[in-house]
Amino acid sequence: MKRAICLFVLCTALCLACSAGAQEWKPPTSMKKLPNGLTVVVSEDHSAPTFGICISYGIGFRLEPEGRTGFAHLFEHMMFEGTPNSPKGVFDRVIESGGGANNGDTRYDFTEYIETAPTSALDPLLWLEADRMKTLDFSNKNLENQRNVVEEEVRVNVMNQPYGFFFAIDLPGKAFDTYPNAHNFYGDFKDLDAAKIEDVQKFYEQYYSPNNAVLAIVGDVNPAEVYEKVEKYFAGIPSRPAPPRPTMEEKPQTAERRETETDKLAKVPALAIGYRMPPPRSSSSLAAAVTGELLHNGQASRLYQALVKEKQVALSVDGGVNWPLGNPFEYNGPTLMASFIVYPPNVTEEQVLAAYDAAINELATTGPSQQDLDRVVTKMRSDLYGQLEIPITRASALSHAVLFTGSFESVFNTPDELTKVTPDQVRDFTAKYLVSTNRTMINRVPAPARPDAGKSGGAQ
Amino acid sequence: MRFVKIIAIVALCASCALAQKPAPLPKDLPPYGPEKPVEAPPVKIAKLDNGLTVWLVSEPGFPKVSCTVAIRGGYAADPGDRPGISELLSNTIDQGTKLRNARKIAEEFQGAGGDLSASAGRDEIQVSTTILASKVEPAIAVLADILQNASFPDDEVSLAKKNLADSLQQREADPSFLASRAVASVLFGRSPYHVIAPTQESIAASTPADLRKIYAQRFRPDQTVFIAVGDFRNEKMFELVKTNFGSWKAPAESPVADTARINPEPAHALFLVERPGSVQTTIELAAAGPLRSAPDYESAMVANAIYGGTFGSRLVLNIREDKGYTYSPYAELNTYRAAGDFVTRADVRNEVTGATYNEMSYELNRMVTSSPTADELTQAKRFLVGIEAIRLQSRSAVAEGLSDLWVKGLPPEEIGIYGKKIAATTSDDVDAAAKKYFPASRAAIVAVGEGKVVREALAPFGIPIQPAP
Repeated sequence: MKRAICLFVLCTALCLACSAGAQEWKPPTSMKKLPNGLTVVVSEDHSAPTFGICISYGIGFRLEPEGRTGFAHLFEHMMFEGTPNSPKGVFDRVIESGGGANNGDTRYDFTEYIETAPTSALDPLLWLEADRMKTLDFSNKNLENQRNVVEEEVRVNVMNQPYGFFFAIDLPGKAFDTYPNAHNFYGDFKDLDAAKIEDVQKFYEQYYSPNNAVLAIVGDVNPAEVYEKVEKYFAGIPSRPAPPRPTMEEKPQTAERRETETDKLAKVPALAIGYRMPPPRSSSSLAAAVTGELLHNGQASRLYQALVKEKQVALSVDGGVNWPLGNPFEYNGPTLMASFIVYPPNVTEEQVLAAYDAAINELATTGPSQQDLDRVVTKMRSDLYGQLEIPITRASALSHAVLFTGSFESVFNTPDELTKVTPDQVRDFTAKYLVSTNRTMINRVPAPARPDAGKSGGAQ
Repeated sequence: MRFVKIIAIVALCASCALAQKPAPLPKDLPPYGPEKPVEAPPVKIAKLDNGLTVWLVSEPGFPKVSCTVAIRGGYAADPGDRPGISELLSNTIDQGTKLRNARKIAEEFQGAGGDLSASAGRDEIQVSTTILASKVEPAIAVLADILQNASFPDDEVSLAKKNLADSLQQREADPSFLASRAVASVLFGRSPYHVIAPTQESIAASTPADLRKIYAQRFRPDQTVFIAVGDFRNEKMFELVKTNFGSWKAPAESPVADTARINPEPAHALFLVERPGSVQTTIELAAAGPLRSAPDYESAMVANAIYGGTFGSRLVLNIREDKGYTYSPYAELNTYRAAGDFVTRADVRNEVTGATYNEMSYELNRMVTSSPTADELTQAKRFLVGIEAIRLQSRSAVAEGLSDLWVKGLPPEEIGIYGKKIAATTSDDVDAAAKKYFPASRAAIVAVGEGKVVREALAPFGIPIQPAP
């Protein structure tokens, strides 16, 4: 595999004159598909005697059944509760004794299971991953236990937190009209409480098949040996019928949507704004990603400079395309460019919005300068490389890309593709998509200090 | 996600074994393969004539570089009438220099592919960035400018004060912040270490002149380390450091005084922070812990991994996996230059507040009264060694790890010694550390939640209740 020469000679002098671009980095990476449909990606990194694994299944919040909100995530927890071969506790014990750590993550379009450890633990971990792809310990006791754990997770991350993640839960809920995109992914407690062990079993059979999964292994490994091991442990798992994929299309939005919520824990107000984005991997997706970062990425961003520094109507601005549950390249259905703005109590929502609109309008009218664009693209390329630094995060990126597109090339190409976005594309994208008829806003204000005041606005 | 803290990879971790009756391993499970030695990266140590310490780790290949600069003097060095001003200082250090305004600084870092992050700790202020290797030259030039020429413009300071005041108000809604602040007071009382954030009063009283004065006192080459890790050649990087920092001069006045050793002896009492409307109680058990340089630091780390520092630990298996009280229990040792602490923490639904306290005490005391099983010990040691290897994969984590050692007065080689000391820890070492640090009676109990709920839940234990200091 080719690495740009300047990597080996400290390229400060060489590249000082380069604008964004012209620096390729691509570690040796390859891919194979087993006869049962499991796709395997291997990427080498010999800088430390460790590895990272990510196995992504093509199941996320969007596909969880109606009446079972929060189920994809609850199910993720069940994957750690053991199998008939490997009782509860074994998986964690083996990985920790092997000097590693593991976790799981549920998002709109995938559920991933990640592990990282010294290479000595590769064999037992692959075996355990294969074991839980064959069957699980479908016990009521485990379900009851993890239901409690998940409900505590919702309490700690949502209900007991100021703002309760409203920019990630309530905003899409208001911006989209169909169940897959609009429902509360953490789950209503009544739905979580209603989940039965039969649901767990059915979900597993539908979605947790080898042909609905991509396994990526990154680290200090020999690819030929890894393919052999994967073959040995996974090849015997039968494929199953491909799961149904209901339509996730949304009817076009035609009017601005606005709402106010109260928050009994927040002490200062916040405004969330969401614009519907073009479909994934469409001709304007890169311009969308760049625009999102130009507006939101760091202190040099347009919105930070306009709202926090110049007009001084905000305390903080966060956001971007597919924010906060992923980066602007990892989604596979309708998503938003979201902004989350915390503002001082003595400022009005209208003042915040006026400053926000002025920043958007400027971009829609004049676009960014080439210089502004180069800076943002350099930052995005740096962030994308950052994701590839460590085996476990590189495994995630590779696994998601293959799950969505059948190829991992975008992981290494996107940094350079970004350099092709032009100021005009950003201007045109902004003028077309960042318009009031395409947006949803929720203003979240502290509840009056009375115990029974208003409704909580909490996202349960 | 199973445990929110893991998000940043394995910086921390939580994962599992059945402490009392571990399930047998599956008969077909393949064994671990041969272990490969984990080598800590070699650190090139140098010093400029002006006293600036330079630690460099050259890791060619991946095209990024992490730089971290640590400066002695943090919250513990803040003037008594300006507690927490270090946070305002770290918020404003990049808001203007003699050569650049705030926007220009932000844009130059962005153009190098990085962000500047500046933060205050008890002992230090730390400034760091991770940039593309091809942009290291312009990035270090801005970094050097900020460290030597920050000007704290009046308008930027006044905006930063306003925003910090509002964000402090916002943080006060966060149970985790309330708990940490109460723990700091309970453990460190009136010593300089009780400060972990500013107060509304100190923010209001702070002026640009205060910041300039503190900056002049603390930001000096002989009290600073410059650390770079990544894709560069050491000679070239050293030249770059010399060019950018060589003319920096230390003032004649003596630097910030060192903090005297602090040994917390908190009352075994319940310190209640009332948070009306809370649907959970945040419980922390907080006691003194070892210094990072203490001979039993590694033994205590192993004991903690067995007790509550991993998914497979006794506490997590008990209150999460068995009882389902909580999503995010953990226990950790924190160290500072002049003190160490040991905290257990969980956010639990109101109804199980008392039961959770009971189990935490039980598991702490069980560490004192019973030795770990051979499996527990092996698992904890392998876990800690492996996690260290995984941590060393990341350039920014290596830079931060080195900075942490420097702040605590330890040499960079310690980064490689830690794993060896962990691996050499015996069952007796763990027992000794457990006896010294783990008795539940050593710990103060901090609870953030609905007052009535907490009081009623803990009443049966007969612990004196005090309002948080």
